[in-house]
Amino acid sequence: MYDKQVVRRRRAALAVLVALSIVLLTAYFGEGPSGLLHGLQRGAQEVFQPIETGVSRATKPFRDLVGWVGDNISAKSENDKLKKENADLREQVARGEAAENENRKLRGIVGLPRNPAYPDGVKPLTARVIARSPTVWSEAVQIDAGSSDGVRVDQPVVTNGGLVGRVSSVTGGTATVTLIVDASSAVSAQVLPDGKFGVLKPKIGNPNDMRLEYLDKNTKVEKGDLVITSGSTDEKLESLFPKGIPIGRVKRVDPDELDIYERIHIEPFADFKRMEFVQVLRANPQPDPDTEQAPNGVSGQGEETP
Amino acid sequence: MTLSAGAIVRCGLLLLLAMVLQVSTFSQLDILGGNADITVLVVAALALYSGSVPGAIAGFCAGLLLDLALGANLGATSLVLTVVGYFTGRFMELRDPAHGLIPLPVALVSSAAYVLGVAAVQFMLDIGATVSLLAVREMVATILLNTILALPAFALVRRVIRPVLLYDPLERRRRRAAPQSSGPLGLRGLDVKRTQLP
Repeated sequence: MYDKQVVRRRRAALAVLVALSIVLLTAYFGEGPSGLLHGLQRGAQEVFQPIETGVSRATKPFRDLVGWVGDNISAKSENDKLKKENADLREQVARGEAAENENRKLRGIVGLPRNPAYPDGVKPLTARVIARSPTVWSEAVQIDAGSSDGVRVDQPVVTNGGLVGRVSSVTGGTATVTLIVDASSAVSAQVLPDGKFGVLKPKIGNPNDMRLEYLDKNTKVEKGDLVITSGSTDEKLESLFPKGIPIGRVKRVDPDELDIYERIHIEPFADFKRMEFVQVLRANPQPDPDTEQAPNGVSGQGEETP
Repeated sequence: MTLSAGAIVRCGLLLLLAMVLQVSTFSQLDILGGNADITVLVVAALALYSGSVPGAIAGFCAGLLLDLALGANLGATSLVLTVVGYFTGRFMELRDPAHGLIPLPVALVSSAAYVLGVAAVQFMLDIGATVSLLAVREMVATILLNTILALPAFALVRRVIRPVLLYDPLERRRRRAAPQSSGPLGLRGLDVKRTQLP
């Protein structure tokens, strides 16, 4: 069918392209974040950003339609689950109010300042998700806020439910957020009310079942307990996330698993499959709890966070 | 496919459109626990209609665009899509498929090869987390959704690149089916000679 020269040329083309891919992969792993390929990647993201934002907004009705169909299919089971969760939450609110009341009285006695969920100097910025990784092996999203909005690498990102991830790279107008369900992610966390520490790791392919590992075997933990970021301030290994950001609730505790593997299962609050908006917790030298809007007209914290 | 400016522009625009739609729309649609991946469909369609070398080049460029846009490991997706594009093109060159439903099996096999290839590359890069069986469900969902989208996606790609193709496999099938003269001895030995229809 083909002469030898054509066959040779065809195989050479394949070999060159495969070799080029491997060279790119090796060089990318070998260089630092300020390297040539990383710079090229940031430049490309800057160029693609307006197109991605436009397409993302234009196709939102289509995405909403598909989401609506999916919601209707799963509405019944979701409704039963929510009713049960609502009853649990009512009980917790009652307990929480009693605890808060007691806490206020005790603080008044001891004279301690109030400890907010986010530390002083954190200023949330709401941004829109404009792109998402197509595979489960690399869980990252791109948002339409960048260094010009004060976003920096390693800043935590939250959504209305809880912790979502951290900023892994920034360009002028965009930022890439590596989600906590990405294979490379590990978050130091704390189980309440027991207060024991562990490291939260993902299970690839199942974002609703994360694992809290390296937990003390004697931890008294129950299904439904709250898990928050521990915010380690150790000089050698300081946590990227401030203390107190809600992550999720304990989903399952297997005594044997806890005893042997020192781990329990956590269901995160954030819905990683459907994220329209997120909040970047920017460092702010002047403590100001107000929420800013991204320059592209994204809604603020009050509208997003329940 | 002839290597002309028109061919490069048409293929480039197709790949760019596929990448943008993928990251900003299809990746955010959760259907059956997974999402469709139209990038691999466009690469497979280009390879099926234009051959192995254009297919491999299209795969490389599509992977590069995806990795650049998402800040992923540069070269990982290119590697997988290059191989998928090349072998889809080789299938066309060796088997010469002419059936109108050929996009369905091609999309099924190329999507399966792509999701398995991406998984294999990630394992080679040493992922630091456990893998749930639900990852398999997500991969199967991607393959099924891609197969469902195959016919319109392949038709769109064919329509765009048709002017720059050396020949169109589907068009050739129609030519072969047309009645023609069988020669002095007929098609089967002593068969009666058929006449050309007007």
